[in-house]
Amino acid sequence: MTTPIWPIAVITFKEGIRNRAIYGISIFALLLLGANILISGMMMQELGKVAVDMALSTISFTGLLLVLFVGINLMAKDLDKRTIYMVLSRPISRPQYIIGKFLGVILLILTTISILSIFAIISIFMVKLSYPGYFPRFSWPLVLLAISFITIALILLSALTFLFASFSSTSFITLVLTVVSYIIGQSITDVKALVEAPQTVGIKVSSVTVKVVQAAYYIFPNLSIFDIKLQAAHGLPISWSYVFWAVSYGVVYTCLTIILAGIIFRRREFP
Amino acid sequence: MQRVLPIILILLLLPVHVSIISKVTEAKKLLPKGEDTSYVLPSPILKIMALEFDGLASDYTFLKALVFFGSTFERQEKPRLKNWEWRWMYNILKASTDLDPYFLDPYYVAEAQLTWEGNMVRETNTLLEKGSRYRDWDWMLPFYLGFNSFYFLHEDAKASEYLMEASKRPGASPMLASLAGRLAYKGKKTENAVIFLQVMIKRTEDENIRKQYETRLNAFKHILFLERAAAVYQERFKRQPETMDDLIAKNIIKEIPEDPYGGKFYIDKDGSIKTTSELR
Repeated sequence: MTTPIWPIAVITFKEGIRNRAIYGISIFALLLLGANILISGMMMQELGKVAVDMALSTISFTGLLLVLFVGINLMAKDLDKRTIYMVLSRPISRPQYIIGKFLGVILLILTTISILSIFAIISIFMVKLSYPGYFPRFSWPLVLLAISFITIALILLSALTFLFASFSSTSFITLVLTVVSYIIGQSITDVKALVEAPQTVGIKVSSVTVKVVQAAYYIFPNLSIFDIKLQAAHGLPISWSYVFWAVSYGVVYTCLTIILAGIIFRRREFP
Repeated sequence: MQRVLPIILILLLLPVHVSIISKVTEAKKLLPKGEDTSYVLPSPILKIMALEFDGLASDYTFLKALVFFGSTFERQEKPRLKNWEWRWMYNILKASTDLDPYFLDPYYVAEAQLTWEGNMVRETNTLLEKGSRYRDWDWMLPFYLGFNSFYFLHEDAKASEYLMEASKRPGASPMLASLAGRLAYKGKKTENAVIFLQVMIKRTEDENIRKQYETRLNAFKHILFLERAAAVYQERFKRQPETMDDLIAKNIIKEIPEDPYGGKFYIDKDGSIKTTSELR
C-alpha cells in the first residue's frame, strides 16, 4: 500500500498556488524589487550592500507573508470549513495527514522562494549593471546561501503554524501565535544580550525578567541564526561549520515541532 | 439619477480632497515643534525593533540623515544647522553604524560633513574608530582618522600612526607611507593638508562631496601660494609682511587669489595666512 502522504502534499500545494493572496503578495514583492533599483541609486558608496539588503529582505518578508496568510489557511481551512471530516474518514492516520499537509506547504515555499529569487537576482544584476564600480566585495554564492537560510527559517516557522493549528480552535489564534513566535524568534538574541547587560542603555532589569528571557531563549526558535543578510551584503566569510550547525538546528527543531503537532492533533477531539 | 449622483459626488469631492491635502500639509508645518530633539532611540532597542531587517534599518536611518541634511541647503540662515541638529545627525549616523557596523556610507558622510562644518571631530573619530575596526580591509577609514588627528586635533604623532595603519591595508595609496613620515616635520601644515585632500578626492565617487573637497583643496592651494609668497617676502626683507598689499607692492604676487568660500585672505599677527570665511 502506498502512503497517502504524497497525494495530500500535492493537493495542498495546488490549493496554495491557486490562492488569490499569492497574486497580491507577488505584486508587492515585484514593487519592492523594482524599488531596489531606485533606492540603491540614492546611496553614495555602498550601492552593492544596499541592493543585496533590499533584495534579501524582500524575499524574507514576502516569504513571511506567504507563511502567515497562505500557509496557515491551508490547514486552518480544513478545520474551519469542516472538510477535515472527509479527509479523516479515509484510511489516513492524523499524523500522516499533518505530514502530508506540511510537505505541501514546504513545496509551496520552495516554489515561491525560487520564483522570487529569480526576480531578486535580476534586480541585483540590474543595479550591478548600472553601477559596476560599487560591488567590490560582492559574491553570488553568499547571496544564494542567504536565500537558502531564509527558506529554512520559513519552513521552521510554518512547522510552528502546524503546531499551533493542532490545538487552537480558529485560524486567527494560530496567526497571532505565529506572529508572536516570529517576533520573539527574530529578536531573542538581541533581547537576551540587552537584559544580560542592561547598563548599555541605562535601564534596570529584574532577575525574574532575565530568567524568563533565558527560558524563552531555549523554548522559542532562534530565527536570527538563519539571518545572514548582513554577511551576504558585505561579502563576509561564513564558515562551513556554521552552515552545518545552523542547518542541523533548523532540521531538528522542525522535526520536533511537527512530531509534537502530530501527537497533539491525534488526541484532539472534533465536535 | 441614482447612477449619476455618486459620480457627481466623486467629481465634487475630488478637488476638495486635493485642496485639503495642501492645506493640511501647510498647517502641519505651522505646528509647534520641539527644539532640542536630537534624541534617537538607543541602538540596542533599535536592533530589537528591526527584527531580521538590521541591514535595511541601517540603510533607512542613513537615508533619513541624508534627506535631512540635503533639505538644509534650502535654508537662508547662517549657520545652516543648529547645534542640536548636528548632534542629531551624529546620533542617527551612529545608530545606522550600530545596526550595521560594516556600512561605509555613514562614516563617509560623517567625515565629509560633521568635521568641517559640524565641529564634531572627536565624535566623528569615535565613529571612524569603530568603522576601521570592522572594515579591516578598507584603508580609507584609518586615513580619515589620520587626517582628523592631523588637521583638526593637531595630534601629529597619532595621525602618523593611523596613516601607517592605513598604508598597510590592501589598495592603499602609496602616498600614505611618505605622508606619515612627513607629519614628523612641523611647519608644513598646509602642504600636508593639500596632499591629504588629493588622496581623499581620489577615493570620492559622490559628485556633491567631491565638489566640496575640491573647493577646499582650492582654498588650501591658495593659502599655500600665499604662504610661499610671505616666505619669499620674509627672505628678502628680513621681516614679516603685514598685509596682503605688502606682497603686491613688492611685486611678489600680482593679485590676491579669491577665497572660494567668499571670505578675504589676510595675514594674521603671527604671520600666518588666514581667511575671514574660516573656510566654512
